This record gives sequence, structure tokens and C-alpha cells, in this order.
Amino acid sequence: MESKLAKQIRIWITIVAGAFILIFSGLGFGAKFIELIHTFTGESDGVFAITPMVNYLLATMGFFCMLIWATLNGMFNDVEGPKQTMLERDEMLDAK
Amino acid sequence: MTSSKTVQTDIPRHEDIVDERLVRWFFYASLVYMGISMLGGLLMAAQLVHWYPIQNIEFLSAGRWRMIHTNAVAYGFIANAFLGMLHWVVPRLTLHRVASVWLSYFIFFAWQVIVLSTAGGIIFGPAFQSQDWVMEAARNLHISMNLGAQGLEWGETPFWIDPVALLGLALVAFNFLVPISKAKGSLYVTLWYFMAAFVWTFLTYAMGNFLPEYALAGSSAGAVGGLFIHDLVGLFVTPLGWGLMYYLVPIILKKPIWSHGLSLVGFWGLAFFYPLQGIHHFLYTPIPMFLQYGAVISTIAVEFVVATVVINFFGTIWGDSRMAFKNLPIRWFYTGIVYYFITCFQCALQVTLTFQKLIHFTDWVVGHAHLVMFGVFSQWIFGMMTYLIPRLLKKDWYSNRLCEWHYWCSAVGVFVMFLDLTLAGLFQGYYWAALQPWEVGLNGSQPFWITRIFAGLAMFFGFLCFVYNLVMTMRKGESNATATATA
Repeated sequence: MESKLAKQIRIWITIVAGAFILIFSGLGFGAKFIELIHTFTGESDGVFAITPMVNYLLATMGFFCMLIWATLNGMFNDVEGPKQTMLERDEMLDAK
Repeated sequence: MTSSKTVQTDIPRHEDIVDERLVRWFFYASLVYMGISMLGGLLMAAQLVHWYPIQNIEFLSAGRWRMIHTNAVAYGFIANAFLGMLHWVVPRLTLHRVASVWLSYFIFFAWQVIVLSTAGGIIFGPAFQSQDWVMEAARNLHISMNLGAQGLEWGETPFWIDPVALLGLALVAFNFLVPISKAKGSLYVTLWYFMAAFVWTFLTYAMGNFLPEYALAGSSAGAVGGLFIHDLVGLFVTPLGWGLMYYLVPIILKKPIWSHGLSLVGFWGLAFFYPLQGIHHFLYTPIPMFLQYGAVISTIAVEFVVATVVINFFGTIWGDSRMAFKNLPIRWFYTGIVYYFITCFQCALQVTLTFQKLIHFTDWVVGHAHLVMFGVFSQWIFGMMTYLIPRLLKKDWYSNRLCEWHYWCSAVGVFVMFLDLTLAGLFQGYYWAALQPWEVGLNGSQPFWITRIFAGLAMFFGFLCFVYNLVMTMRKGESNATATATA
């Protein structure tokens, strides 16, 4: 059985790692996105840079929608639950 | 979430949802392609040290073998092995069969046709290039009609196979997304990775094989090509590989993953930060600098994501670390995880402009690619096979010692190759930076290239041990197999 301290450590590492990734990477991406808009609007040949960005935005937009859908459908209400269910199911499959 | 009591009543029988014959077939096909790929790699390596054994035969020239080497490993070995594993894991995680078992068999045969046609196109395509009917069709259809390889790394698949391959990927996605959509309760992280991989692989393949061929040119095509090369590793191989690790490691260790929440952070981090980083292959090119810097930032962002994944797996084995020595599949997996961390750490360094000045176009990159494709994903696949083949054949391995030989030759061989090519890359970079004549760099590379051959031979010997062991296991009589991992 996991101790209370171990559980708290796990939760805090998850939160800190998530925040670290989101804040620093978000800042970097935000700055570059503003640069993209400046290039696109300010330079006559800047339009060609749009292709890879559109590729990226389309792909990530889809995943952003999926993230919202999953959250609204309660997929993350019990974040640690699926890891136990998966093991139990697998053991039952082998036992049958 | 579905309670365990409900699950117990609904649980089907393993043999009703998993077609083990199909898993075996995919594994056997993948091993054939791995043999061909390793042979191609050895021939190319021999060419570099002037030992090429098949001189003056156009069809078997070293440049074509090189493309066979890379395509056979990605689309032949890794794709087949992953498809085999998906047929085992997805039904067991969702408790539902694939959408259609007949479709699975069709996909198996269709995929072999696609891979073999790719090899045929690469080897024989150029010979037909100047035929009158080809020229006329090119004029009429206003396309290049390049019957041989397309000019993009890993996108060499000839243009006439691309639509078929894309259709095949769509069928694969359909076949596995149906059972995933039927799964009850919150999804386990493996299924998130798989869902993403099905979508990403389809999109990535379409982007790399169609846009530069028909719609884009110049820097724009270069930028998309950069995205394609890297996304094929990061959005096809990586999510399937990690998805399988998140399933197999807890199953073998018989304990849950340390933090499912952290694994989801890793998954969503990969989803948002990976797709843009491919342009880091084209630093110092005419592609706008904001895109190049964007790729650098997203690569470094992915390193944070990788750190969460590695922490999670070491958190999982914490307290059971002896399993990494005792249990061979776990040892394969954790060796791959350590190598993965090394390649990603290397990635964070090599995407900086300062570092690129030195290592661009050198063998450093080749070493990096071998560590990730062989050291990580191929080793994971060997671990999966080491674990599953006794279960599939219902026999223990013919020889555990040969399994050990396979592991040590592969793990040590690829690491020696990685160190050797990394050093070669640094030497080459300094030769070029010092404006030494090209021949000086070539001569200086010879000791490294010779060492690389011996490292490759060790890996090939390990692979032959595995194949021999598999054949002997198949041939030996029924045993009271424990059908568990090699301990």
C-alpha cells in the first residue's frame, strides 16, 4: 500500500512537471507565434512559412479538441484509476 | 470508471478476442525484414571501407541497399512487429476483438505487398525510368513519374505505392479504433498513445509523401520534409513504442505504473510539442529563422516531456530493480529506456545552432539515429518478442543462453556503434571546420567506419542467435511451458 507521503510526492511531481512544461514551452511557442504573424503580414514572401505552421496547428487543434472532449466526459476524474483496472483485467483474462 | 466486479462478469476469454496466429505471422514477417535491413546496413558499411562485395551490379549498388536498410527497418521490421503487438494488446485492454479479423489478415498481406513493392521500386525502378511509355505518361499526367525512390529520406516509397500505403494505414486505424471506441470507463494511457499514433501516422505519411511530390517546392518542401522525417519517428514509432511499454512493464512487474497522471502529462506534452520539432534537421537553411527557433524550442520542450516518462518508469521499478537483471524482457525494456534518455538528451544539445555548426552532415547524426531506432525501439521489440513468443508457441525458449547472447550482442554492439559514430562525427566536424581537404576527413573516418562494421557484425550475430533460437523453439516438441518471460 502506498504511503501518504509517497502519494503526495507523486502528485506534486506530476503537477510541477506539468506546470514546467506548460509555462516554459508555452512562453517559447507564444513568442514564436507572434513572430510568425509578423513575418506573414510584414514580408511579401512570408506566406510560404505558413505551410508547416498550418500542418502543426491542424494536428494540435484536433488534439486540443480531444483533450476538451475527454475532460468534459470525465476521463480524468479518477486519474490514477485506469492503472489498477488495466492490471486487474489482464490478470482476469489470464485466469479464465 | 468500471468497477472490478462489473469487469469480472464481462470478461471474455483471451482466445476469443486475440488471434494469436496473426500475431505470430506479423512477428515472423518483421524478423525477415530485420534480417534484410541488417544485411543492407552491413553492405553499406562495407562500401565505406572499400570492402563492398557486390561490385559493378547496378541493381545491387550500395546507395540502393542503404534505402532498403532504412525502409526495411521502419516499414518492414518496426511496422510489422507493432502491428503484431497491437493485435495482442488492443483486444486485451479493451476486451473487444479488432473490428474485423478478416480485415486484419487483409492488412497483413497488403502490408507485405506494400513493403516488397517499395523494395522493388527502389531496386528496379530507375531501370525503367527512361522507357517511352513512362515518358509519355509523365507528359500526359503532368507528374514526374519517378518509378524509383522519391527524393526524401524515409519517404523513398515510390509515388505509385503511396496511395495504397495510405489506404492501408486508414484500414489499420479503423480496425483498432473500433474496439477502442467500445472500451468502457476512463482510458488507460496506452490507448491514448495508440489512438494518437493511428491519426498521426496517417497524417504524417500523407504530409511527407504527397505535399513535397505534388504541391510544394523549395524551402517550403524542405520544411515539410523535415517535419516528416522526424514526425515518422516521433508520431508513429514513439507513441506506439511508449504505449506498449506502459502496458508491458506493469504487466511483467505485476505492479501498476508509478503515476498514471504523470504518464498523461507525457502523452499530452508529446501531442502538443512534438509535431513542430522536425525542422531542427534543417537549421542554417533558408527556412525562416522563427521556424528554426520554434523547432529548437519544441525539441527542448520535448526533453521535459521525456524526463517525465523516464521518471515514471524508474518510479515503477523502484524497489524491484533486481528484475532489470533477472528478467530478460524487463532488461531489454529498461536498456531501451536508458538509451532513449541518452538520445533525447543528445537531441537537446544537437538542436542548438552552436552544436549544429560542428556536427551537421557528420556521422554523429548516423550514430544518433542508430541508437534511437535500434537501441531503443528495436530492443523494445526484441524484449516484447522474448516475452510473448513462449506464450504464442506455448513452449519455453529452446535456449535461454541464446536469448542472453542476443541481448548482450545487441545492447553492447549498438552502444559501441553509437559511441564510435559520435566520435567520428566530432572528428569529421573539426576536419571540415578547419577547412581540411575532403580526403583528409575521409581518411580520418576510416578507423571509425571499420569499428562500425565490427559493431554491426556483433548486432547481426546476436540477431542470428535469436532467429536460430526461434526456429529451434518452433521445432522442439510440446513442453510444459510456463509461458512466461525468460527469467
